Amino acid sequence: MGVEPGRLQFSWISSAESTKFVDVVTKVTEAVKTLGPNQRFVKKEAKVA
Amino acid sequence: MVNYSDKIREISKRLLKDCKVDMIIGFRKGSVPMMNEPHFARTAEDVDELVWDSNCGINLANYLTDRKEKIGVAAKGCDSRNIVTHILENKIKREQLTIIGVPCKGMIDKRKIAGLVEGEVLEVTEDEEQINVKSSGGKKSFKKTEVLQENCAVCIHRNPVVYDEMVAEPVPEQTDVDRYEDVRKIEEMDPEQRWAYFDDLFKECIRCYACRNACPLCYCPTCFVDEAKPQWVGKSQDPIDIRTFHFLRAYHCAGRCTDCGACQRACPVGINMRMLTKKLEKDCKDLYNWEAGLTLDSRPPLDFYRPDDPEDFIK
Amino acid sequence: MDSHRINQLTHQRINQSRRDTDMKIVAIDKKDWEKGLDRLREAYRLIGPVKEDRYHYFRELPQGQAPDFDFFNTRISAKEIVYPQSEDLFEYTLDETKEDYHLLKEVEKDYSPKAVLGIRPCDAKAVELVKLNFDTDDYKDPYWLRAWEATTFVGLACDSPCSTCFCTTAGCGPYHEEGLDVLLADDGDRYVAKVLTEKGENFMKAAGWTEGAEAEARFESGKSAAEEKIVSTVSTEKLRSADTLALHGNEEMWEDISFSCINCGTCTFVCPTCWCFDIQDEVHGKQGRRMRNWDSCMFPIFTVHTTGHNPRGTKLQRVRQRFMHKLKYFVDKYDAGIMCVGCGRCVQQCPVNIDIRRVCDLMDRYGATDACAVEG
Repeated sequence: MGVEPGRLQFSWISSAESTKFVDVVTKVTEAVKTLGPNQRFVKKEAKVA
Repeated sequence: MVNYSDKIREISKRLLKDCKVDMIIGFRKGSVPMMNEPHFARTAEDVDELVWDSNCGINLANYLTDRKEKIGVAAKGCDSRNIVTHILENKIKREQLTIIGVPCKGMIDKRKIAGLVEGEVLEVTEDEEQINVKSSGGKKSFKKTEVLQENCAVCIHRNPVVYDEMVAEPVPEQTDVDRYEDVRKIEEMDPEQRWAYFDDLFKECIRCYACRNACPLCYCPTCFVDEAKPQWVGKSQDPIDIRTFHFLRAYHCAGRCTDCGACQRACPVGINMRMLTKKLEKDCKDLYNWEAGLTLDSRPPLDFYRPDDPEDFIK
Repeated sequence: MDSHRINQLTHQRINQSRRDTDMKIVAIDKKDWEKGLDRLREAYRLIGPVKEDRYHYFRELPQGQAPDFDFFNTRISAKEIVYPQSEDLFEYTLDETKEDYHLLKEVEKDYSPKAVLGIRPCDAKAVELVKLNFDTDDYKDPYWLRAWEATTFVGLACDSPCSTCFCTTAGCGPYHEEGLDVLLADDGDRYVAKVLTEKGENFMKAAGWTEGAEAEARFESGKSAAEEKIVSTVSTEKLRSADTLALHGNEEMWEDISFSCINCGTCTFVCPTCWCFDIQDEVHGKQGRRMRNWDSCMFPIFTVHTTGHNPRGTKLQRVRQRFMHKLKYFVDKYDAGIMCVGCGRCVQQCPVNIDIRRVCDLMDRYGATDACAVEG
């Protein structure tokens, strides 16, 4: 569809893997931050706002 | 395909007479060129209206959803695959159906033909391999293979995969087609180009939902775009909402779509939304070696877990 | 704009329409066409048919772009010119630190004069039918009326109608003038223009097209030639006499008609006379807007109550409603013929070939049988 690679990520984390969870969330957050604000699938505010 | 009509009528009359079925679902001749209308027959008299030619592109599996009667249904290759999917998804029972299999050499593309002739198309007739078009600008003939619907041109399952009777001997399957040339082109684009491509693809969409409603897979009692509590998608002509509708609908068809082309055929403005469903179809083939609706013996990939599923995308 | 002002405008408009005593015909040399369009752009936003990929649509015509008159009809009707598919009505903020929070404020819109060039007579008459809904004694829809008031309708007579056109038996015709301010006809290296209203006169003046022509004969002969080319018809004579409940209750007929229907909105969205809409609120963050969008009686949610009950829960009911509205309820309520102008768009575009011509004939025939039974 044209969404940048890196903005969508999948991981398989068991409920017992708390450290992996933190690790993945941190990494994904960083990766998405470097991509900057999302421009795709963002509706414009009301045109006249 | 020329003599199929007589055979369908003959089988239908017998099925109705023997009380094997309560109704037959097929097509009757349309009131405008290159259009036939899905139709039901309950009596021998109704049966005489049934026809079959190269304008039966609507998928009749769509008319079976949740019906309670015993039904005889005419089914070309793709219809039969969607009937299989319907049975797997409990939308109809195999025992209710008498499937009248129709080997298919493809349906013709009404838009393509309209674009190839001068003026308005007034009459279209066919013999075995040739399509004859009378338009306000004159007469032209085409080889049928030149004017097939895009999905039919690359179809590799022309014969019904399940049937109780056949109207003719199976036709040869196409083996030398490249099904995914168009999908690969999009895969090769960078995200920027791809975004622009789909922007352009959907720019004429009027949200009539003909694509969804012509699709036998789209039988949800309330579609996600129609939900009000909560409301998932805006209802205006905002291009983001339009795109969201098309791409989410496509995802709901992943592993189920047979590329019957009903969506594209139904679209009043000629959008090829199959570019979304075909990508998912290709992925299912690549990842799971799966083609929808070929067998009643196994579940579709997305409602089945196998320990050896490829999970390359999961980190 | 208050309702009084709208009333005034409406009356003015009616008076304008009736001022056809000094109606005249003007000749426009095709060499002067684009120059005229440029002059018009100083006073009007111009809209006309433009071919995009496969079909013609009404689009704004920027400088240098002339309308493309080489078309049968546009894919979507001209109703969107005064009644867009999505239209913002109000905006509001939910931000309680703002002074005007929770207040609906009307959205500013461009109601400056615009002119639609090349609207077919069927679409123009359809606007008049839609007006019956948006301009009543009890209620006047300000958005529709303002847009309509701002628009000058410059029609293009239909010299090569389609095989699916049935305007002549639907109360319209290829040279029909209702709803038009100017009617153009192609006359070789010139257009001839019949100026029908004051609005039309102003338009012609703004374009600098003022050279009178003796071309009444062109309109007369063109009209009869075009009408002869209309090959399809509907029978509507007995609809009025039909018993509403008996017609409504003919389940067998409606099952036959509705079986193939997939309940998409194609017929209603492409129809020039379908006027139903839905009001929606959308909020992004704290910024909200209220808009209206075309709706369709073919959609199940069109009639769903907040309780979850749907009084028109089956497709038979919905299909029946659409045709009963167009061909029976409307006929009875307004005494202005059927709510259809015979443009044939639904006939051409219905994905499953439900044909209003057939339905109309079936309903009309039913009316006749019923009337005879009553007489007998």
